[in-house]
Amino acid sequence: MTSMQAVPTPDATDDEVPILQLAAVRAGYGRIDVLHGIDLELRAGEVFALLGPNGAGKSTTLAVCSGQITPSTGGMFLCGRDVTGVAPDALARAGVCLIPEGRGIFPNLNVLENLRMATFTGHSFSQVLDLAFAQFPRLGERRKQTAGTLSGGEQQMLSMARALATEPAVLLIDELSMGLAPIIVEELYEHVRRIAASGLSILIVEQFAHEILGLADRAGIMLHGRLLHTGPPASIADELADAYLGAEHETPAAHPSQ
Amino acid sequence: MGLLEIDEVSVQFGGLLAVDDASISVPEGCVTGLIGPNGAGKTTLFNVITGLQAPSGGRVRLDGADITRRRPYRRARLGIARTFQRLEAFGSLTARENVLVALEMRRRWAKSRYDSGKIAAELLERVGAAQVADKRVDSLPTGSARLVELARALATDPKVLLLDEPSSGLDEQETDALGVLLHELTADGLAVLLVEHDMPLVMEACTHISVLDFGRIIAEGTPAEIQADPSVQRAYLGTAKSAS
Amino acid sequence: MSQRWSNLLVWAGTIAFIVLVSKAAWAGNPVNGTSLTNLVVLALPVAGIIAMSATGLVVVYTTTGVFNFAQGAIGMFLAYVDWELTVAHGLPQAVALPLVVLVIAPLLGIGLDRAIMRHLQGKQLVVQLMVTVGLLFAFVGLANMIWNQNNAHSMPQLFAGKGFHIGDVLLTWHRFITIMVAVALAIGLRILLVRTRIGIAMRAVVDNRDLAALEGARSSVLSSFAWALGCSVAALAGILIAPETADMSTTTLTFLILTAFAAAVVGRLRSLPLTYLGAIILALATQWMASFLRFSDRWTNVPDALPTIMLFIVLLLLPRAEVQFARIGQIRRVERVSSVRDTAIGLAAFVAFMAILTLFLSSSDPTNTNRLALGMCTALLALSLVPLTGWAGQVSLAPLAFAGIGAVAYTRLGGAHGSVWAVFLAALVTIPVGALFAFPAMRLQGLYLALATLAFAAMVEEVFYTQPFAVGPGERPVARLHLLGIDFSSPKSFLILVTVVFGLCGVGVVALRRSPFGRRLVALRDSEAASVTVGVNILETKLAVFALSAGIAGFAGAFYAMSFGTLNNAQGFQMIAGLPVVLALVIGGVGFVAGALFAGVFGFVTLFVQDNWHISLWIALFYLAPGLAVLGIIQNPSGAVVPIGEGFARLLPWRKDAKQEYEEMTAAAAEPEVGELGLERPFAESDVLLVDRELGISNDVPRPVAAARSS
Repeated sequence: MTSMQAVPTPDATDDEVPILQLAAVRAGYGRIDVLHGIDLELRAGEVFALLGPNGAGKSTTLAVCSGQITPSTGGMFLCGRDVTGVAPDALARAGVCLIPEGRGIFPNLNVLENLRMATFTGHSFSQVLDLAFAQFPRLGERRKQTAGTLSGGEQQMLSMARALATEPAVLLIDELSMGLAPIIVEELYEHVRRIAASGLSILIVEQFAHEILGLADRAGIMLHGRLLHTGPPASIADELADAYLGAEHETPAAHPSQ
Repeated sequence: MGLLEIDEVSVQFGGLLAVDDASISVPEGCVTGLIGPNGAGKTTLFNVITGLQAPSGGRVRLDGADITRRRPYRRARLGIARTFQRLEAFGSLTARENVLVALEMRRRWAKSRYDSGKIAAELLERVGAAQVADKRVDSLPTGSARLVELARALATDPKVLLLDEPSSGLDEQETDALGVLLHELTADGLAVLLVEHDMPLVMEACTHISVLDFGRIIAEGTPAEIQADPSVQRAYLGTAKSAS
Repeated sequence: MSQRWSNLLVWAGTIAFIVLVSKAAWAGNPVNGTSLTNLVVLALPVAGIIAMSATGLVVVYTTTGVFNFAQGAIGMFLAYVDWELTVAHGLPQAVALPLVVLVIAPLLGIGLDRAIMRHLQGKQLVVQLMVTVGLLFAFVGLANMIWNQNNAHSMPQLFAGKGFHIGDVLLTWHRFITIMVAVALAIGLRILLVRTRIGIAMRAVVDNRDLAALEGARSSVLSSFAWALGCSVAALAGILIAPETADMSTTTLTFLILTAFAAAVVGRLRSLPLTYLGAIILALATQWMASFLRFSDRWTNVPDALPTIMLFIVLLLLPRAEVQFARIGQIRRVERVSSVRDTAIGLAAFVAFMAILTLFLSSSDPTNTNRLALGMCTALLALSLVPLTGWAGQVSLAPLAFAGIGAVAYTRLGGAHGSVWAVFLAALVTIPVGALFAFPAMRLQGLYLALATLAFAAMVEEVFYTQPFAVGPGERPVARLHLLGIDFSSPKSFLILVTVVFGLCGVGVVALRRSPFGRRLVALRDSEAASVTVGVNILETKLAVFALSAGIAGFAGAFYAMSFGTLNNAQGFQMIAGLPVVLALVIGGVGFVAGALFAGVFGFVTLFVQDNWHISLWIALFYLAPGLAVLGIIQNPSGAVVPIGEGFARLLPWRKDAKQEYEEMTAAAAEPEVGELGLERPFAESDVLLVDRELGISNDVPRPVAAARSS
């Protein structure tokens, strides 16, 4: 599995193999099919925003990318290598890191113990702590506090800190904003912006579309388990309100990826 | 005054207010929509109405009678039926048997006489699942299983029908058929409360829509009013400061 | 009834029970400072042992989700290994004990995890439980095989029983060490769980299993570690308790674990401090009973029942379970419901087969005929679990206890002269007892309900049969039926009678499955939430199915009694004898009448082999056979009768559909699923073709597969 260690290449060009790719993925929970054939490419160093209304399949897409759900058909590729059906822990060690929806923390462990869990991907504890507290000094002040008693924003920071401390190749972020006040969401996205500037490849799922279009390189709209439009954020913005609050069904057939 | 009245219902999970003083009125003979972003509390509200979740405050009334403390099976017998967002079909039974379970229960409690087998076939036909009647439900695709759940709910001969995302897993044709079925059902006098993400379906089927966000009702009105409401746009799209 | 009121009721009942029992059985010893000090000094080592065993249970359960019935058996086995090293081979304990606890036990744990436990994830609860029960029997069997139980074994105490006095009680160094080891284990676990990465990961798994996997914590490593730790702790407890038992009886050592079950449930199977607290309370209660109370006559066995009584009370105090939503992604159960006609034909054929078989059985030596009849009684008893466990999903480990009650009822209500009515009275008497179980079943789900039934079985064994109105100290003769002027007292006629009764009941059960009631039971198992929303009253339904199951079991009990010929005490109806019945049914297939028949045949074969091969290896078979069957369950969790039935149906000319189904299935099984490919094994050319076909990839679509191969 160690040969899988994927290294992000910041100067990626279009003809390079995408760092993460889904090809014709169909997947779902148990018997509930959610994704009806997703083709998606995340290029090295880019921020891709996946937008769309509830139930469109955004979180399921991330669950596939992180290995929690095995596609029923279709494949997933990491730097061109087939990783379809690889277990989530193996993917995590290979550099794919998910910040899950809600709070991706262990509520009954304290901050330090939560960060300790990040060391399974091969980093020393002191490295992890340095990285985490440098990014999020507020966590350093609360290192002994039980994670479940932190505020919502702090919990989300802890979740991000743990993810970043593993120095992942690909960061998957699922609805950072869920259940948080807008002002805190803004603060969290400041952090995301900084991380993105460092050249990490990020696939981010959001409902609050306007927050994210500013920092994404490309974006796509999902509807009914299909990826409809992909393109630069500006071209997406207009489609959004329609997609969320109802307009005509789009036919998914014709959507060249650019 | 609606047939089903949800009156200032709150639900608290630990420190989190999942539903906060929500009031909805569901009149008979039409479809009432309930929409909102993920985690807004829609399914929790459904669980309160059907008795699977005790509210921390507020009342649920059916036909004027307070049913807040009734057991779930009593409410079913009083005429509340539902489907589930995450399928709760009886997987190891066939589609027909799924409907039969409900029919046979009704025959016992309502003391009515009818041919369960015949009605089961009619119901499956009506929702469009007749061709899978003798297949085990856990071998069906999602869409068909949802239709079976719908037939099972109808088998209890409800006054109020709660539908939790009935269109997910259905293809466009089936979704259209669902819309038509909703019209037929309400024409028969049924009160329907619909949670749905398929906005075209919601806008087309509902006469009245409530929007739930962070457990609170943030807007109510006709589909056109809802579509134009800036607070709804905000709930779905986030703060619009950087919007074009 | 609200949670608060029912808890109040249980507490009040418990206190009333303690007061009444204490008053009735008061031995007259003075209660003063000295005697209470003595009580504590004697209780603490016991608490230490209970705490250790319970800790092992909790660690394994929280990390892997498997409740290990075999925890005590593993401890027993490893204590015998230690005995072998020290007593038989003269190794000093200072070498042997670390070797067993730190090397052999962890290796055993890792081996168990790799070979068996890992395959249990996501299986039905009753299957998970029965695998560890099978393991329990396997270890007892192995121990009986290696260490002949006709010879006495005894393990010396550490430091040869020397010690020091506290008050007027001698606290031996051995017991002192026991207490210290328990304390050290608590401290060690605390350090492990708070300071070390693997310990933190184990707690993280309790919080959120999926997230822990996302972090890269290998669940396989964690579960192996938990099993290794569980076995080490079991070994410690076993070795320390062994010298305290009379002659290291394998079953005594194994079932000491029942007290630990209660302690673990006090900690809700997750909190170690509460588990320790539970252990101390239980030890004090046990010692209180030993020091101040005296039981005689009909209550002689109450002290033996205490652990299970306490387990029962603790279970009743657990918070009420919520209405269960179906868990998505569970394995699909293969359950072809046979038609009543097919079943009737099949069972008629079986009765005919049995009738022909009797022609070849020896008339002078009825041993085999009697064994077969007992096997058919077992099948009838197993049938009682088909609706309850197979359809409604309620795990009961007490079928034999209900049979025992039925046997007593039959004997007391006219069975002594073979009255037909007594058979039905036996069923009638057990029905209300079984129906009572619906109430705990409303509060307890899954594992907890199973434990409650187990506790019930033990209580019936220890306190019911000894009552004068039941069996009492002597023997009670039982007569076989007189029916329609026919006397069924001869072995062969009795065998035919039981077979016919089984056949009739089997057809009845299948008819029931096809009735509204049967559908309702399966619906309740598949989704409680959906059941209530179509108007199913869960309490009423559970009452009915528990009553039905108890009725069939009581009915079977009457035939057991006839088969035995006499009733004396609990002979034949012990808790431990009931577990193989459940186990055999699970191996056969818990949802099927054929599974029940399988259980009967299994029982007969075990009896036959055990009695006919006088080799020490086969003597152990009574225990070993159910143990070996574990492997069968893992191979085929939905039951052995499914493939047997499918294979048989293929041979029937009118079942063309079965043949076709089989061919489709084998064809599907031959192709690997796309999801199984990937990094786990090299990607062969044929796999690429398979993926292409699965995805419908044609040449005009980008081919990531090709890209992957060229890199």
